[in-house]
Amino acid sequence: MSHAWRPVFVVLAAIVFFLVARVILVPSDFSAKNGDYKYQWHRLSSEQYWKDFPVKHKGMEFCGMCHVPILEKLKGGGHQNVQCENCHAMFNPEKKSHPIDLKEISGYLLNIGTDRSRELCKRCHAELPYRPSTYTDPKKGTVKFKMIDPDKHNPSMECAMCHDVHSAGFKTAAK
Amino acid sequence: MNLSRRELLKMGLVAVCGTVIPLSALEILTPEAAASLIHPFSKKKRWAFVVDTTKCVGCGMCAKACKLENEVPFDTEVQRTWIERYVQLKDGKVIIDSPQGARYGYTKNDPQGKEIKDSEVAKGLFVPKLCNQCEKPSCVQVCPVGATYKTEDGVVLVDRGWCIGCGYCITNCPYFARFFHPITNTADKCTFCYHRITKGLNTACVDSCAFGARKCGLINDPESEVFKILSTERVSVLKPEYGNEPHVFYIGLDHIVR
Amino acid sequence: MEGHMAHGALWTVKELFTYPNEYIYWTITIVVYPYITGLVAGAFVLSSMYHVFGKEELKPVAKFSLVFSFALLLMATSPLMLHLTQPFRSINIMLTPHFYSAIAAFTIVYLSYMAIVMAEIWFVFRPFIIEQAMEKKGLLGLIYKAMTLGSFDVSEKALHTDEKIIKILAAVGIPAAALLHGYVGFIFGSVKTVPLWKTPLMPFIFLMSAIISGVSVCIVTYITGMALKRNFICGASIRSMCKVLVWFLVAAFILEGVDIIFHAYTAEESWGIMSELLFERFAFNMIVVQWFFGMIVPLLLLLLPRLTMLRAFISSALVLIGVFTMRWDVVIGGQSMSRSFAGFLTYKMPIIPNSIEALKEGPILITMLLLMPFFLLFIFNKILPVFIEVFNEEDCGFTEGLLSGKDSAKH
Repeated sequence: MSHAWRPVFVVLAAIVFFLVARVILVPSDFSAKNGDYKYQWHRLSSEQYWKDFPVKHKGMEFCGMCHVPILEKLKGGGHQNVQCENCHAMFNPEKKSHPIDLKEISGYLLNIGTDRSRELCKRCHAELPYRPSTYTDPKKGTVKFKMIDPDKHNPSMECAMCHDVHSAGFKTAAK
Repeated sequence: MNLSRRELLKMGLVAVCGTVIPLSALEILTPEAAASLIHPFSKKKRWAFVVDTTKCVGCGMCAKACKLENEVPFDTEVQRTWIERYVQLKDGKVIIDSPQGARYGYTKNDPQGKEIKDSEVAKGLFVPKLCNQCEKPSCVQVCPVGATYKTEDGVVLVDRGWCIGCGYCITNCPYFARFFHPITNTADKCTFCYHRITKGLNTACVDSCAFGARKCGLINDPESEVFKILSTERVSVLKPEYGNEPHVFYIGLDHIVR
Repeated sequence: MEGHMAHGALWTVKELFTYPNEYIYWTITIVVYPYITGLVAGAFVLSSMYHVFGKEELKPVAKFSLVFSFALLLMATSPLMLHLTQPFRSINIMLTPHFYSAIAAFTIVYLSYMAIVMAEIWFVFRPFIIEQAMEKKGLLGLIYKAMTLGSFDVSEKALHTDEKIIKILAAVGIPAAALLHGYVGFIFGSVKTVPLWKTPLMPFIFLMSAIISGVSVCIVTYITGMALKRNFICGASIRSMCKVLVWFLVAAFILEGVDIIFHAYTAEESWGIMSELLFERFAFNMIVVQWFFGMIVPLLLLLLPRLTMLRAFISSALVLIGVFTMRWDVVIGGQSMSRSFAGFLTYKMPIIPNSIEALKEGPILITMLLLMPFFLLFIFNKILPVFIEVFNEEDCGFTEGLLSGKDSAKH
């Protein structure tokens, strides 16, 4: 046979080597689901990875298991749609201040603490010309939304000095 | 003209039926059902999202909850969901911003960091954004290794163990919903909280929204709020011109929204 | 900043409104990648001009440009590897290719093309390899013996077969080279979200600029190499290369011009921001460097009568700079316009390698990467006689005579 075939053999050998390697290296569950090669070509096990991703926000039902009075107060007031984590989940782990290690006891993974800064309340209640002035409550219908000008409304004071943030009313003198 | 009694009766019957039948027909067909006749949704299970921009106050609680729920480092400047602010001034100028993806919320009238007087503002709105979970996701189409895919129920996910990090999907997303996750070093994006919706929970952003501006549900389920809104209200999508068939529907968009 | 920085935040400066996840994701590595593949394609086409079209005056550069094309080809994927955030998984693209993606087939196109180039080199240098394999002892001898692939046939008949095969390979190699680089153009042209890239002309624009840069790099390297060795340089070869350069320069200029005119005339939504990019932010890069000094000036220099070696060298060097700037303007410029059409992103290359990412994305590795093909050529030249067919004055005069004879015969 002519010498000219030798490079062809080299190429063929490389292809065979690659095909064998491919059989070993490609995960067995890699396939085009439903025959959809365009949009569903993947490792099927990856779907399970995302299904098994840990749930972190558990909402007021979870917190209310212990904090019964607060939950009751919350449910009767203007903050009934505000989840506990909105204010109490700390993005800064150093601010974690929950007395019980929730992770150990119930596998709850967020860092719970208390943020008393005006900045937190301003996220909803600072008046902006384009911030909706009313909101729709499923039970009460259209409700006027309480907004203040943070520069004029008792600047430098903590909101919680006067306001009971759980009942969304004023703190009673009895306390 | 002479009308026989019989003809008169016939005409009367037609007239009565003509007025009654359309009314009764409307009674049988609920608005949702009528709408679904015009635009029948597929029977296939499919997740979709509705954002009502008229209800969004720009508190950014959704962006915060999303980052914590999905373990995207909080201070890294990437967002699975974010809120944009569009402010049109009285002189016609439009200022758009989304400082830190609004995960700390909007607390001042300072678009793009410059404080402006309330009296200068003509109109403005907040627009929450997230992955549009497109029916024809261009990001999936361009992945060279099959590391991103659409699930059967319409959610686009990334295989963190297979992604090579070429960035082609990021470049091909019209909405810039994708980014590189700083810890896994792979492409990352909103998953509609796949771990939550598949367990019957709401997404973290929907849960954290006190104003009901966000809704996630099955587009084919007549009981879901998403279906009800889509079949009765006027909704629009972002950048339909790219042909991706996005599945996040908006109420109250404006032409200045990009 | 404490904690984790977003990939891209290190070198992206954002202005006005850009989406929160918007960064320059494709950086200097992706500028260099089409640049190198372009040089590959251009150098190969040049060598094929001799092998296929029988341009005798290109004989002295034919072998050199073929081997140089291979040296460049070996480095073509390295910028891609640097660019990946998971480079160790790059094999996945071969394991589970998703051919709906414009980049999935790249490895196949690349490897097929590499097979063609390597085969052609083998056939071209076969007699020399066999000679060395029989003479040399020790490690070098072993290398040559391996390179023979076990065939020591240098009969008249065998050599005749070689010549035929070389011609076929060189001919097949031209569309393959065009495909390789047109394909790179397609990768950009098919990105529907970047208005500067999204044009069906992109593959052709890339191809034309590839050829001009490839021819130019051969002219520059050849003249430099010969001058360093104080060898005679044949004017006929240089003039012939410059002629190729002129034709493709004109084609490249027209294509790029048509592209911009279309964008301006149709003035779609993106034109507002694109015109600001072209005429303000990238005006120096695009208009001054890319078009004026990268195309118009070299074209004029080459078209002036009595072309000198120096002028050929200068215009080729200018073209090389111009094409590099063009790659920069396309890759960086395209991403500089925010997808919101309401803001800009500026690319600031991290100069000081104070982190792995800054090193990967910095100028040091990229410069090394760009110099590697020259180093590889130097090594290959030790093993294979790349410059053996360099014309002496006599050969050159003969070829010149042939050429002028042809010309006068035509008239």
